[in-house]
Amino acid sequence: MARIGIKDKVAIIGADMCKFGERWDKSQYDLLVEATDGAFKDAGITKEEVDAAWVGIFYYFTGLSGTLVEDALRLDGKPVTRCENYCASGMDAFRNACFGVASGAYDIALACGVEKLMDEGGSGLPGFKIFGHPIYPLPSAPAMFSMAATRSMHEYGWTKEDLARVAVKNHENGYYHPKAHFKSKVTIDQVLRAPMIADPLGRFDCCAMSDGSAALIITRPELAESYAHSNDYILVKSNAISVYTMAPWYWPGYDFTQFPATIKAREMAYKEAGITDAPKEIDLAEVHDCFTITELLNCQDLQFCERGKAVEELKNGTFNWDGETAVNPSGGLKSFGHPIGATGCRMITELTKQLQGRAEGRQVPDAKIGLAHNLGGPFSVCSVTILGKRD
Amino acid sequence: MIGIKSYGAYLPKYVLPRDLISKAWDFPVVPGSKAVANIDEDTITMSVEAGLDCLIGIDPKSIDGLFFATTTQVYTEKDSASLIATVLDFRENIITIDFTDSLKAGTTAITRAIDTIKSNNDIKSILVIASDMRIPEPSTMWEFGFADGAAAILIAEEEFLPISIEDYYSISKNVTGPWKRAKNDNFVRTFEPKTDAQFYFNSMRTVILEILKRNNLNPEDIGHAALYYDNPRLHARLAKSLKFQQGVAQNGLFFQIGDLGTAMSMMLLISALKRPKSNAKVLLVGYGDGADAILMNIEDRKLVRLLSKTHVALGYQKNMEVLDNYTVYLDNKKLLEKDRYTRKSSAVIIWRETDSIYQMYGNKCKTCGLIQYPRMLTSCFQCRTTNNFEKINLQLKGTVFTFTLDHLIGGNYYETPIPRCVIDLDGGARVLLNMTEIKNPEINVKIGMRVELTFRRLHEGAEFVNYYWKCRPERGRN
Repeated sequence: MARIGIKDKVAIIGADMCKFGERWDKSQYDLLVEATDGAFKDAGITKEEVDAAWVGIFYYFTGLSGTLVEDALRLDGKPVTRCENYCASGMDAFRNACFGVASGAYDIALACGVEKLMDEGGSGLPGFKIFGHPIYPLPSAPAMFSMAATRSMHEYGWTKEDLARVAVKNHENGYYHPKAHFKSKVTIDQVLRAPMIADPLGRFDCCAMSDGSAALIITRPELAESYAHSNDYILVKSNAISVYTMAPWYWPGYDFTQFPATIKAREMAYKEAGITDAPKEIDLAEVHDCFTITELLNCQDLQFCERGKAVEELKNGTFNWDGETAVNPSGGLKSFGHPIGATGCRMITELTKQLQGRAEGRQVPDAKIGLAHNLGGPFSVCSVTILGKRD
Repeated sequence: MIGIKSYGAYLPKYVLPRDLISKAWDFPVVPGSKAVANIDEDTITMSVEAGLDCLIGIDPKSIDGLFFATTTQVYTEKDSASLIATVLDFRENIITIDFTDSLKAGTTAITRAIDTIKSNNDIKSILVIASDMRIPEPSTMWEFGFADGAAAILIAEEEFLPISIEDYYSISKNVTGPWKRAKNDNFVRTFEPKTDAQFYFNSMRTVILEILKRNNLNPEDIGHAALYYDNPRLHARLAKSLKFQQGVAQNGLFFQIGDLGTAMSMMLLISALKRPKSNAKVLLVGYGDGADAILMNIEDRKLVRLLSKTHVALGYQKNMEVLDNYTVYLDNKKLLEKDRYTRKSSAVIIWRETDSIYQMYGNKCKTCGLIQYPRMLTSCFQCRTTNNFEKINLQLKGTVFTFTLDHLIGGNYYETPIPRCVIDLDGGARVLLNMTEIKNPEINVKIGMRVELTFRRLHEGAEFVNYYWKCRPERGRN
């Protein structure tokens, strides 16, 4: 397959996110302005210099079409596209923006994501009464991933305590991040005593409902030299997305102990970025820990460890912020919540700052290559982005 | 001959001990128990169960009609029989009718089936299903009696049948009670139980004596008598006055199961056929604003015993479970006011996907052979070929591959959370089904557990009843 790819063709020159959390007093417009203002300042540009924008929004009540960006920023009729691809919506917005500048169609693009979940109330993802097929069972998001937890515990011998360790690690990291929704450490005992959401996943196994927004300014490397981060702009090494069924529970033989979309996106992303030994080459990863089980399976699917060994490696400290592969040094979705459209851009913002050595939370020492990963729907959509420092 | 080719029955999972009712209202203790349908059951779902049971080993496409009898129909404008026939996968060129508004609707439906078969050369078999789920007013005497269940009898014309039907005789009588007004009444009511008893006694005696006379029979010639009753003492008095021999009139059912309404006399008959007498005359008598008496003869005792053995598993109180509190019963009758979860729905999608949703058809890939579900998915999960499927009937049992117990959606079960189970069906295809009727799911739902599919009410989205299959721990349906 002949393809040009986008490796080293896109540079991130500005990145920022708003404070994540229950932002009752702010609208989606406010949050988007908070994130984009930061990103414009970071890049040293004004909004007038943006040629086109892509925005990740999952829910219709956050905003339909690109008009949310126009109404927040008044870009004077410039092209804006809303991207929806389940929980990978934000990273898919970034991916499309990358193509926009890499192709030469635009010089500077804004990739952003926003979601205002709390306006619909905080008890579980809204919309499950009106989405989907009218008859076939529609499990809640925790229930979808619990099916993988049940099966993985059965196959790998993992326990609820093993899952709890993911929550403990990520909340420990999030404690140090000023933008995190939750800034409190938890113990294994606390996690195990929490109310059940979808057996075997309890409240602390699940990421929270949250509001948030993040924004990135991208251009081509040759143009990046003339902006604020001329010496430390970040390069996109690869960006892949994989889509599988919206109903894995009808897939005969599917084993529920791995996510085919992650595996496929990882294969594409590693190939383009030239990654052959993930644990050695990737210094840090922001992976989709919507649920504790998801992070464990991600680590295996992304080849940070062998299949079945994620718990062992987690216990060994391999995925700690100062371990061999730092997994969610920001605190992940566990600490930030999951304002769906925003999450992918939030991860890329985090990687950018980590690779530039100016992380807002725990700085991963000497980070050169970072990976961001989203997994959406019932394991349906996976996006993997790999970023690196310029040589 | 015209007669009974097969029969089947369904009793719900739960029985309510009558002393719980006594305790709840400070009434004198009444012995026994009654069958109570689950919150996701109604007369349509129970009829599907009874129908499936009756049709074991019989091709549903060979049946020429479905008559449904009930006083508790789900819709007053919309046929239940056609829905039941659809779920049972009958042909389209059949006749379907609902018989409603009288407790004798079950026996009346049988008499109409006999005449329909007699008078039509191209109608050879009609499945008659009776089911009731009458909701008694709490803290009344009705509460001890009204129970839930369904019975199915396949009437056919064939050269030889295990039970032949020899005659029927009906009377019609306008009586003072009980009644339930189409508007204004939530519950069955009556004016004076003593006159009701008198009407019952007289009507039953009249039809029975007349059919015996017409057929030159004496009471002692009757081997089995399945007589509708809702009062055991009255039933005993009636049997005695008719001079039936000891044990002829079936009387055990009310004590354990309660009054099944239109299904009662048919269930009594089915119960009697567990121990059929050789070449015996059998009476089936229904009551309600008159009475129907149907006279039958057991042609082949061994065949009837075999039918009873292979059918009616769930009509024999198999694996029934005792409810341990009265509030659970109130909730399941929706007599407790509370918000209940509902989803959007689309009658159009349900109609378009009837074969997957109601009939559990799947696809078999003609390229690689993989059996899969639902049929709306247009490409093969395995070889990815598009639209190269043949429609295939899926089995209604399987094994749990993985599951979760979902707390996040306010379920209208009395067992929350909702178990969501990925099931590998025997013979192929994987499905996602909610589990119903599982106690302590935290302990009892397991990978590898065997389940049966059961047709249930799923939700009330779009202001109609949305039915679908759920799974339940194996109860022993054949």
